[in-house]
Amino acid sequence: MTRWFEDITLDEAFPLGSHTFTEDEIVRFAAQYDPQYFHLRGTGAEHSHFGGVIASGWHTVVVGHRKMVDALAVEEQRLRGLGQEPGVSGPGAAVNRMDFKAPVRPGDTVTYTLVVSAKRPSNSLPGWGILTNQITALNQRGESVYHAELIGFSKLRDFKMPLRQRILEALTSIPGFRKLLTRWS
Amino acid sequence: MNPITTDRRHFEDLALGEEVALGSITVTKEMIVSFAREFDPFPFHLDEEAARRSLLGGLASSGWQTAGLTLRLLTDGFLTRIASAGGLGFSNLKWKRPVMKNDTITGTARIIELRRSRQHPQWGVLTVDLDMRNQHGQPVMSMKLANLVETRHPEGAPQKLGAAS
Repeated sequence: MTRWFEDITLDEAFPLGSHTFTEDEIVRFAAQYDPQYFHLRGTGAEHSHFGGVIASGWHTVVVGHRKMVDALAVEEQRLRGLGQEPGVSGPGAAVNRMDFKAPVRPGDTVTYTLVVSAKRPSNSLPGWGILTNQITALNQRGESVYHAELIGFSKLRDFKMPLRQRILEALTSIPGFRKLLTRWS
Repeated sequence: MNPITTDRRHFEDLALGEEVALGSITVTKEMIVSFAREFDPFPFHLDEEAARRSLLGGLASSGWQTAGLTLRLLTDGFLTRIASAGGLGFSNLKWKRPVMKNDTITGTARIIELRRSRQHPQWGVLTVDLDMRNQHGQPVMSMKLANLVETRHPEGAPQKLGAAS
């Protein structure tokens, strides 16, 4: 989330937008990452129980991720417009569950929504909070295409860094020091 | 009869505990930047200078790209050789370490569960444990992935093969 940990409201729907999947992009993604016959053209997709080409579930997921990156950038602009300093989100850490529920066919439009269902300060990463994010993806008929539960990070606004950690962060910004650290670990 | 999958291994041909060694792939700067531009356009996946200043400490692939490349290795080494009928999803995906520019990833897929679908006797559910490593043998990503597989004998009495602990 691009909001500070303290400002994140639980169970609030944050719309991420929609995407219409063309056959060309479905096939292009599949050729690169998931070349199974029911994701490609001319390989007999009609013989599968889907009866034709469907998108790789992973394709629908990474497009959802792109929609989230874009929506968070817009939210960041909105907060700046209100004269606020936006929060900082960290890299994704884990996906608890990802359930593919219905196939996405060429021409289908998928609408993505993010809901933060739980949050707590991190024990191992001081200054960061851990978020449980629920992503829903619905097609144009309102059917669930997938549901996901992801773990993400968000920075705490009201956090004073202990001196020891400030020194460590200053040291790791010296070129080469990080390499030494990773060699030790 | 599905002419595409008829000669492939079916649900009955798979064994609990079977381990599949996946191929390997080297992640280049061009691959990282082109994936990021399309699906994960954060500055630290697009620009080496921004990457050096980030938590990652250098240009690294998007976690979703690592997952996508893993899927490609699994598809080439396993899913296109069995009568796969589509993915059901995955669980416990953990990104353990960033995949940096020019790292080579490989890994194994181990069958940890095989069960027949109760509602759809033409399918079985296959679960594999994926363990991906870099060229130093360090874990980069793991997950459990579930996939449907066609059965040869849909009418066969449902048998529970159980899960490995």
